[in-house]
Amino acid sequence: MHRYIIRRVLLMIPTLFGVAVLIFLLMRVVPGDIVALRYTADGGSVSAETLAAERARLGLDKSIPAQFVDWMGGLLRGDLGQSMWTGRPISYEIAIRFQVSLQVAIMATLFAILLSIPLGTLAALKQDTWVDYAIRIFSIAGLATPSFWLGIIMILGLLIVFQWLPPMATVSFFRDPWANLSQLIWPALAVGYRYSAVATRMTRATVLEVLREDYVRTARAKGLWERVIVVRHAMRNALLPVVTIIGLEFAFLIGGLVVTEQVFNLNGIGRLMVESIIRRDYTMTQALVLLTATVFIVVNFAVDLLYAWLDPRIRYR
Amino acid sequence: MRATSIHRWLAALATLLLVSSTMLPTEALAQQPRPGGELTFVVSAEPPSYDGHRETSFAHIHPVAPHYSTLLRIDVANNYKIVGDLAESWTISPDGKTYTFKLRDGVTFHNGDKLTSADVKASLERIVNPPPGVVSARKASYQAIDRIEAPDPLTVVVRLKWPEASMLANLASPWNYIYNAKKLAEDPRFPEKNILGTGPFIFVEHVPGSHWVAKKNPNYFMKGLPYLDGYRAVFIRSASAAVAAVRSGQALIEFRGFSPAQRDDLVRALGDKIRVQESPWTCVLTIVFNNEKPPFNDVRVRRALSMAIDRWQGSQVLSKIAIVKEVGGVLRPGSEYAATESELVEYPGFGKDIEKARAEARRLLKEAGQENLKFVFKNRDTQMPYEPVGIFLIDQWRRIGVTAEHRPQETAQFQGDLRNGNYEVSMDFACDFMDEPDLQLFKYLSADKSPANYARYNDPVLDELYVKQARATNEAERRKLVREFEKRVLEQAYQVPTIWWQRIVPHWDKVKGWEVSSSHYLNQDLRDVWLSE
Repeated sequence: MHRYIIRRVLLMIPTLFGVAVLIFLLMRVVPGDIVALRYTADGGSVSAETLAAERARLGLDKSIPAQFVDWMGGLLRGDLGQSMWTGRPISYEIAIRFQVSLQVAIMATLFAILLSIPLGTLAALKQDTWVDYAIRIFSIAGLATPSFWLGIIMILGLLIVFQWLPPMATVSFFRDPWANLSQLIWPALAVGYRYSAVATRMTRATVLEVLREDYVRTARAKGLWERVIVVRHAMRNALLPVVTIIGLEFAFLIGGLVVTEQVFNLNGIGRLMVESIIRRDYTMTQALVLLTATVFIVVNFAVDLLYAWLDPRIRYR
Repeated sequence: MRATSIHRWLAALATLLLVSSTMLPTEALAQQPRPGGELTFVVSAEPPSYDGHRETSFAHIHPVAPHYSTLLRIDVANNYKIVGDLAESWTISPDGKTYTFKLRDGVTFHNGDKLTSADVKASLERIVNPPPGVVSARKASYQAIDRIEAPDPLTVVVRLKWPEASMLANLASPWNYIYNAKKLAEDPRFPEKNILGTGPFIFVEHVPGSHWVAKKNPNYFMKGLPYLDGYRAVFIRSASAAVAAVRSGQALIEFRGFSPAQRDDLVRALGDKIRVQESPWTCVLTIVFNNEKPPFNDVRVRRALSMAIDRWQGSQVLSKIAIVKEVGGVLRPGSEYAATESELVEYPGFGKDIEKARAEARRLLKEAGQENLKFVFKNRDTQMPYEPVGIFLIDQWRRIGVTAEHRPQETAQFQGDLRNGNYEVSMDFACDFMDEPDLQLFKYLSADKSPANYARYNDPVLDELYVKQARATNEAERRKLVREFEKRVLEQAYQVPTIWWQRIVPHWDKVKGWEVSSSHYLNQDLRDVWLSE
């Protein structure tokens, strides 16, 4: 197991290096210039010499391989560098947004788990009854409803019915938990609904499949209680694909909530990523893509480890 | 009967007196500025850095300007008169080349340092001759400055190489924050990441991507000001989220402005709780022809395309859906040096008989051999007002048989193509902090003189006229020269204005002491703003 973990950690290095090379090259291929954008897009009339000096200050006058070496050198020293747009350290800019995205992801995941596993199991146990149909309608509606659209409906509903909106500015949970939760609960619900719908469908399908397995039949033949059969024997096996789905969705939520973040004015990673790309903030975009890739790799790794815990038959070497 | 009538009259008079005696003080009281409260406002973008000398966006001015003072300021409430901010008074030498400013005594920075002429000198020099690594975005506007002196702690002398009509206005630029000389000496880039001014509000907190908080400066040099205890700027990118924030009362105002539809939504939802202020805006979208690419190097083609546009009808139609309204030439209509309507209608493309203009446009195209002209019209993918104006233009050109393919582009790519000449016809934009010919005409100078000219032409006639009007000391003479400049620009049609912007600011009625101006860069120090509730 330890060897497996070490191997997986070591495998992360070439994967992340590949991602780094790819995003570095892609950003250079995209047309547009951060310096011209910053000083001329709002009608400014900055001279060509000033723009050239600013490009040199940012290191954009160097050859592309030299820029890559500079960036990789910084990464190896653990220095993500500074945002070309704001001049602030990238680690600081990301840390502010990451806590928001992480909190929304955790809240949405909790919501999805609390909703999907009982509902999915219940639908499987009550297959083809009105309970199953109701849960299926609920989950299919969730799949068909884009999170941002649900977010807009929530905003309009709160505004029109209660003349109230969730806070638009970020408040730390540790400074004001109530304000923090009243801001983040809505996007978590909007995203969590679709997320729970995916997981409910998966839970229902896998529980149905597991309930038809021989060992469940054997357990029933032994006269075990249905509750014990479902919870102890069926659920543990049925949860394996659900854990994969939850893991992937969780990783996606960290950087993928671009439109939902716009709707709720969330100061998250997704919005920062889009803004960085629009501004051609190379250093920031590269760091964010690396972060997102790392989150995906780590979450996948965690899911694999969780497999071994859930199913003792799985052993990694 | 007669006595009763007299009694009735007396009773009515007494009632009237009583009512007026109770009403007048209440009304007067209602207009009395009320100290206290925190103003929350929306900013639809975010300041990249804290340095006003470097930045060019309103996203910087709105949260940052209240921390700083400038040497002079433009008094919006007083017909845009230039008044002193840190300067108590000033004199201009008879030859117009020496400006002497007397500074207010007793002004302190937020850290307690006393402001002296050394701070003003260091700040202005940073704008005029920025040290290496420092960007001065408006350096080109101060070429006339020869040197800046600080003969005593409360006197600043600005000496010019030649007299320049716009110098006072440029010195009153809202971007020209006065920084602490000591800090600049330690690190010329200190203002990029730190706030240290003498303005009405002290910096408290900036959470990137979220909000900006400031509190009242109790030692502000204008006694009794500011009224607010503080302000909070919330960064909201999405226009619909910004409208929702104002509608819910979470934010009371967005100073840049909303579209007509958003204004109507807010008025419908909030009724008399909302007050709408509108103003013509010193911003305009221009059509830029690539003067290096045939057939746009032919004045007949350019002029024909300008003449096809019915700006007057466009103004009526577009003003209902977009933030544009007034028809004008190269200067904002209604401003001091702008063409009057009777002057304007004489320019090609600005007459009111559109059928006649379009017939002439068709003739010019035919003469140039471009009857079935087709081209790509590049536009910025910003919805307001680029998209509606772009669509309007394409429809106008269609009416003279010209086919333009609308190609909206993401801002970075759009800007890159514009700068590099990778376009045939493109939209462009100009926006200034005040109506001043030197500022607005600069864009139309030869490309080798104006970095804001993307139309890729050089015209020594325009350059000469620009210098003449800039140095004209007589108002009538300057006006005449500005007209000549404008006439040449519009006749040559190197790049032509479309319809000037209209600023629409709906805000909660309880926000008092703020007047909309023709620039979203002006009047943003918030020192006179107060909340009635």
